[in-house]
Amino acid sequence: MTEYIYLSPEWAAEAHRRLQAELTPEKMKFVTSSMVTYYKNCPDGKDRALFYRFVDGVCSELAITIGEPPEAEFRITGDYETFAKISKAELGSRAALMGGKLKLQGNMVKALSLSAVVDRMNKVLATIPATY
Amino acid sequence: MTQTAHDPYFIDFPARIRRIQDNMAQHGIDIYLGSRLRTLSWTLDAFCPWRSFVVIPSDGLPTAFTFVIDASRVGDDSWLDPDHVLGYAPMGGQDQISAISDLILSHLKGGKGVVGIESGMAPYLPEGNLTHYEYECFQAAMPEAKLVNAHDLVDELSLIKEPGEIMRVREASRQVDIGHQAVREAIQNGGYHGMTETEIGGLAAYAMRKAGSEWEWSFTGGNEIASGYRTGLAGGACTPASRRQLQPGEPFMVDLHAMFRLCLGDHSHNYLLAPATPRQRWHAQNFVELVQLTLKTYKPGMTPSSLADELLAFCEEQNFIEYMVPGFEHGIGMMGDEWRIGMNDGPFPYWTNPDHVYQPNEMLICAMQYACPEENIGFRYENPILITESGCEEMSKYPLGIEEV
Repeated sequence: MTEYIYLSPEWAAEAHRRLQAELTPEKMKFVTSSMVTYYKNCPDGKDRALFYRFVDGVCSELAITIGEPPEAEFRITGDYETFAKISKAELGSRAALMGGKLKLQGNMVKALSLSAVVDRMNKVLATIPATY
Repeated sequence: MTQTAHDPYFIDFPARIRRIQDNMAQHGIDIYLGSRLRTLSWTLDAFCPWRSFVVIPSDGLPTAFTFVIDASRVGDDSWLDPDHVLGYAPMGGQDQISAISDLILSHLKGGKGVVGIESGMAPYLPEGNLTHYEYECFQAAMPEAKLVNAHDLVDELSLIKEPGEIMRVREASRQVDIGHQAVREAIQNGGYHGMTETEIGGLAAYAMRKAGSEWEWSFTGGNEIASGYRTGLAGGACTPASRRQLQPGEPFMVDLHAMFRLCLGDHSHNYLLAPATPRQRWHAQNFVELVQLTLKTYKPGMTPSSLADELLAFCEEQNFIEYMVPGFEHGIGMMGDEWRIGMNDGPFPYWTNPDHVYQPNEMLICAMQYACPEENIGFRYENPILITESGCEEMSKYPLGIEEV
């Protein structure tokens, strides 16, 4: 089984492929939105942003950038270590938010309505074999 | 809530925001952070029972913040779109200090600028001034910003009532009159026997709700009902209904509150439950005559102190001054604006200025309390009044009098 380096271009391509293949527009509630997860203090010392765009429930864009994150409807910021723990199921994303380890920017009311969708995305991403 | 220009209760909220923004520009305020209940009602047209804030930039739409569990409802009630009514919650980046300061900082170049806040004090519990802790947190989150007290900007604009606001108070007062009618029908012909004050408060509330009232809004206990000795408690202008049963031979006071689209009805009516004594009737006549005189006296140019001088002279002359609480009004407006009259410019900060000069289209509650504790009797009169060009208009039309039933 291929193992991907977390947040590498290869990992991103695989993530995009799996999101498109495994999440139907129905499962994604036909959502149209964009989100950035902003990883501070990656192992190489850089900050990275993982950008997703969904149009009518289809993941139309997934990209990783280095440095300042692109604009998106929602931004979740945290340390790389925190996100890595969430991906390895060592930490729940809600617990990380409630404990202040992650910072959400964007309309909280809309975010609440999308939380189930984001959970589904995270479950798919967690299935990607990865090294951290 | 969508309003149309044909709506008799229409208030132009975007215009209100632009007037605040003009005031901000004149006073060098870059962005305004409102937290008082009166400011929230006046700018959002939505009831905000949880700790809430409104951020008004120098131009464009304001953004409201409230506890996330109520944000959708506030958004639905308000004229603002859902992107301008946001929720806060105990989550990273979404707590009220982070969420609000992030928005404010996005409007301030380099995080520098003047932020108008609402500070002060009030005997009224839900006033909603920024707390000391909130102030410190906002200052820490925006270290380059200067926080200045600026509530006068809103107070000045909300002093004179707009036609839609006056119409809303008229409707709330009509609902209160329906509540009084329901009480009258319930207690007549001995119907009061066995009834409690809480029951009276409830049946009035039901009648007013049927008429469309949103809430028995008063923080002083909803509909205030007092019977017997409770009507005469010294200074007693606050009587949440108790489980006390109404008794023959006692005074009975009914102070009802209705709310219509955040505007407030507030009217008190008094009874003597038969049989009444000549002495009780003497007290009742004193009070009714005083109320009649008061309503004739309100007009533009009067001040609270000139009015009090004139009326207390009458009480002295009629030999009942010792029973009068020496105050004749409190403020009224949209939800949260219900105690201080006028601006904060009196000798005692954050109390009504006794030399405030009434102008046409100001509204206040004509409020009088008569209390004779040693005889277990007292009366209360409250009615929203509109200062007109030549006098005042009473919003509640329920006939004045102290009825014997």
